[in-house]
Amino acid sequence: MKPIGFLYIMLVMLACVPWIIDSRYIFHIATMITIMAPMALSLGLMLKLGQLSIAQPALMGIGAYTAALLATKLGAPTLAALLCGGVMAALVALVIGPVFLRIKGVYFVLLTYAFGEVVYLTFQEWTTLTGGMSGLYGIPKLSLFGFRLTLAQHYYVLGLMFTLLCYFGIRAIEKSNVGAIITALNEDEMLSRALGSNAIAWRVAAFTLSALIAGISGGIYANYIGFLSPDPFGFRASVDLIVINTIGGTGSILGALLGAILVVPLPELLREAQQYRLLIYGICLVIFLVFVRNGLVSLRWPWGRKS
Amino acid sequence: MLAQMLVNGLLSGLIYVIMALGFTMIFGIMRIVNFAHGEFYMIGAVVVFVMFGMLGWPFFLAVICGGVAAGMLGVIAERTLFRRLVGEEMSGMIMSLAIGIILQSLVLLTFGPAEQMISRPFTGVWSIGGAVVPWDRTVVALGALGVLVLFHWFLKATRTGLAMRAVAQDPQTASLMGVESGVIYSAAFGISCLLAGFAGALMAPIYTIGPYMGEMPMLKAFVVVILGGLGSVPGAMLGGLLLGLSESLLSTVFSSGIALIASFAMVMIIVIIRPAGLLGRSAR
Repeated sequence: MKPIGFLYIMLVMLACVPWIIDSRYIFHIATMITIMAPMALSLGLMLKLGQLSIAQPALMGIGAYTAALLATKLGAPTLAALLCGGVMAALVALVIGPVFLRIKGVYFVLLTYAFGEVVYLTFQEWTTLTGGMSGLYGIPKLSLFGFRLTLAQHYYVLGLMFTLLCYFGIRAIEKSNVGAIITALNEDEMLSRALGSNAIAWRVAAFTLSALIAGISGGIYANYIGFLSPDPFGFRASVDLIVINTIGGTGSILGALLGAILVVPLPELLREAQQYRLLIYGICLVIFLVFVRNGLVSLRWPWGRKS
Repeated sequence: MLAQMLVNGLLSGLIYVIMALGFTMIFGIMRIVNFAHGEFYMIGAVVVFVMFGMLGWPFFLAVICGGVAAGMLGVIAERTLFRRLVGEEMSGMIMSLAIGIILQSLVLLTFGPAEQMISRPFTGVWSIGGAVVPWDRTVVALGALGVLVLFHWFLKATRTGLAMRAVAQDPQTASLMGVESGVIYSAAFGISCLLAGFAGALMAPIYTIGPYMGEMPMLKAFVVVILGGLGSVPGAMLGGLLLGLSESLLSTVFSSGIALIASFAMVMIIVIIRPAGLLGRSAR
């Protein structure tokens, strides 16, 4: 059997686990995984460009707040609000992209970091709109064509579908000519530009797609939790995403997925020992950086590896 | 009013300069953006909390111990972890995130999440030109100034300082000239963390002490360093004073939240228009 196939079967089995155990708690964890996995994929897409973006949670926050505000303040239909959230995040990326993506390496990281802080502080300071630190309450549950999603199960299925869409969508892009262009841009920009690819345009396109994904996950999150505060969109969230991608395998789509499955349940599993959570995070990061530089996907799996 | 704003700006600006100097030095020499810099500041303050607050040692002895402890931790971190990643900007940055998390959670586990206070070793105020200056802030400023002068002397007048500047300018040529880059990396990291720890130790009696206290000064150092130019020492000095002054102005006129947003907006503009910063060498 092809090793990748085996892994897929395991993942499908894992996705069914919540129904077997059938507890609200497990469904909550599973739903959080399916919300964070697309986020990890969106960062993974940026890492494919060779640009570490600290702005992904901020974009998620833009999507989440847009969706929540449209639904609560203007009474927009929740599905439309959710999609508007995604589009809003994508628009922001489309506007800042051409300026931001000219900048590379450390400076790009610092730039997105500053952007993330500005967005986070705006959520926090603009209290009349966002409720500031005390938060935004009473976000309606999502309703899809007349069917109201009220339970964690519903959001789990929704999140799972969105995760699969993102995963296979990004994989398809990766395998197409566009993926080749993006890889070439990362490896040798001068050469690929000489061959006629428009570096900035492709980068902006990828950044916009990653923002769209982040914005929609934000919207799903807002509808699922029903409450928003600036907290989940700060620098900590970026650290989580970086941990996920580093452990899974930087720049690997499958790695981002595996990383999310492993890392997201950690805070829940360690609820008893919440204060050890960060320590374990940190130590895992160091171990992976020192010993497993290319993440889980680079490990030799017992059933062999496609060369 | 204006005099007060100037004084406040100068007082906080000097601490920003100390924080930013270490941060910029590590980048200049090792090309690592040290996200753990604020945690070394926190370590300095925690040492003062233990030695001065709990054991009752003299304040200045505790401050020196705080700086040295942070510096030693820095050397250990450099030797065991960062050394493997020299020149790899991305991995180095992620490693520094990891170290920051570990230090933060170790302090959290040892001292708990509560913010601690220690009694102020200096009280009272004095005034200059209509501005009121608290004595404890004055001591901090004088301490920071002393460290600045020492640091400047070290960089300009000692052989090690010369070697550091050489490595920052051109690591290959420096090593051809017989500079052992490994030693320089350790020394630079140690000194940088020592500066951060010293800043934290000095500030310990002024703010509360807790595992997350390093985050704000880290943000400030980050802003300063971008303003002045990553890797530029005079830039860090100029940037620190500039940030201190503009912040005290904006937070008097508007609010401290607005001041923070403005400083990050400033960072974005600088990175976009002139990534090398106000005084930095132009990016490669």
